[in-house]
Amino acid sequence: MPAISVRDLRKTFQMKRKSAGLRGSLRALWRPTYQSIEAVRGLSFEMEDGELLGFIGPNGAGKSTTIKILTGILHPSSGEAAVLGHVPWQDRQALAFQIGSVFGQRPQLWYHLPAVDTFYLFGKIYEIDDSSLKRRISFLAEAFEIEELLETPVRKLSLGQRMRCEVAASLLHRPRVLLLDEPSIGLDVVAKQRLRMTIQRMNDMEGVGVLLTSHDAGDIETLCRRVIIVNHGEIVYRDKVSALKRRYLTVKTVDVRYNEQLAPDFSLPGVEMVKVGRYGAKMRFDTRVTPVEPVISGLAAAGSLADVTVSEPSLEEVISAIYARTEV
Amino acid sequence: MRSKEAGALTGEGRVREHSSAAVAGKYWAVFRTQLLNSLAYPIDLLGRSLLIVLFMWIFMNLWRVTYGAVGASSIAGLTLADTMWYLMMAEAVMLSKHDLSETFSEQVKDGSVAYLLNKPFNFILYHFASGLGDSLLAFGGNLLIGSAVVWLMVGPPPGIAGWIFAGAAVVLSWLLDFCFSALIGLSAFVVEETNAFRWIYQKFLLLLGGVLIPLDFFPAWLQTISLNLPFAWIIYGPARLFVEPSLARLGHVFLQQCIWLAVVGGIVWVIYRRVVARLVINGG
Ligand SMILES: Nc1ncnc2c1ncn2[C@@H]1O[C@H](COP(=O)(O)OP(=O)(O)OP(=O)(O)O)[C@@H](O)[C@H]1O
Ligand SMILES: [Mg+2]
Repeated sequence: MPAISVRDLRKTFQMKRKSAGLRGSLRALWRPTYQSIEAVRGLSFEMEDGELLGFIGPNGAGKSTTIKILTGILHPSSGEAAVLGHVPWQDRQALAFQIGSVFGQRPQLWYHLPAVDTFYLFGKIYEIDDSSLKRRISFLAEAFEIEELLETPVRKLSLGQRMRCEVAASLLHRPRVLLLDEPSIGLDVVAKQRLRMTIQRMNDMEGVGVLLTSHDAGDIETLCRRVIIVNHGEIVYRDKVSALKRRYLTVKTVDVRYNEQLAPDFSLPGVEMVKVGRYGAKMRFDTRVTPVEPVISGLAAAGSLADVTVSEPSLEEVISAIYARTEV
Repeated sequence: MRSKEAGALTGEGRVREHSSAAVAGKYWAVFRTQLLNSLAYPIDLLGRSLLIVLFMWIFMNLWRVTYGAVGASSIAGLTLADTMWYLMMAEAVMLSKHDLSETFSEQVKDGSVAYLLNKPFNFILYHFASGLGDSLLAFGGNLLIGSAVVWLMVGPPPGIAGWIFAGAAVVLSWLLDFCFSALIGLSAFVVEETNAFRWIYQKFLLLLGGVLIPLDFFPAWLQTISLNLPFAWIIYGPARLFVEPSLARLGHVFLQQCIWLAVVGGIVWVIYRRVVARLVINGG
């Protein structure tokens, strides 16, 4: 049984529309007009037990809405979903014992208290007995490297430290599935890496499945084997991250430098010359059109090579290309 | 505080049978955490309690003149000292009750109510436990400072029975007030602006609840009306019990409070069930 399965999930929000000015407000009060927003439009996907699944998409794509539906705090307009065998919106409380969630934009730790106070509170809320809770807290404190931070009021922690505490708090009750909505929001490079490491570690050690949304391709690249890309509430891509790269990372950029002067009309068939200098050149080609082998041998034949650099677009660029392609 | 956590509940692994001890433990923990949270800012807490000094000073001047003008040592059975101690208790309750309706409406409007629903607890009880944590401290502060001031003005407070009886009744007062707050707060799901309701409720408490004047001073007809409304049992009930702690009065106050709790609490419960269903459909 998959940990999460979603079939043709839809969510349409009804928003009261108000025209500007007092007159508009009064009219809205009297006869409100509604605007519907289709946040999720027929999503279907599955997440295996213990899987790290990336769930990405541009702003407003419907990621948070989907996650809210999966935690049971939002009712879909139609469609089916099962999380660990529960229909989330019918079984919210029972499900709450088995899943953890972190909303990067909605901290759950009490701001003025040390994180450990919230940990104890959550422990009680999840009905964990005291000695198991103690063991659990010290285990998580070590795994997340937050032993030193637990006694400090949360408001005095850096964002990265706080987010590690947030994720640790969501794992107190040993959930089978963790829903992480932008946990890396606002973190610097180092803090992001530490957070990724800890998520990876918990996945290794406890096999907790993670559905992860992020605007950072790096999060997905380092953590997830599989990724789902949504735009305008629909899935526009789903596959292994490696396949995504293989499929889209076909445009290579080559920088060459020679020990001798190049012929001024230097060119290769099927290769777009971006810049040609006296001792070097920069060029681009698509491996689906032009095979690699003749390009490299052509380069070698052109003179005595001093240096070659081959680069491909970042995952980030690939993803933005997919977003752009699916823009309507 | 933390070390006290050791070894209360036993059993191996996680407790999952939802024993009533575990469920009560949840709300106790919420209450305790809110208490800790309020204690994080002791100056703030003290500041909140200073308002009562001003109120008592104004009341003292007002009632001294009134008693002087009437020329009697007691009005409707209350001496000046009784009246002042009554008002002290009334203000202490009034100033320490935690206005949840505002928190509620805000959480409804900005959608954060949803994030409280992803944990295994009852949203209403959660708020009550946390509100109680907040009220208790404020009440303690108000009582301490208020009594010090009134003691200086009119002499010693009523006997120990008054403190115990009033204390017990105040807990029910908070519960009843909480139900009203919840009702106002929940209305945020239907109407966008709840301030009007809040304003009306406050005024009912002030005028018919006995915050400004002991209801005994009202003309008979107005007294009858007030005593048959719930507001009196939030403020007047415990405050009057404080200065006249008889068992008969205690029984009467409890009875009234329980009746109103059943009525208003029942309404809240019904509405809450419907609202949660709606909320989950609409999203905050
Ligand atoms: N409660 C709501 N009422 C009305 N519209 C909503 C509500 N919540 C979300 N929406 C709309 O639904 C769409 C999807 O929002 P959602 O928050 O799911 O996007 P997201 O993918 O999480 O975006 P982001 O990357 O910015 O977090 C948006 O157009 C948003 O305006
Ligand atoms: Mg989002």
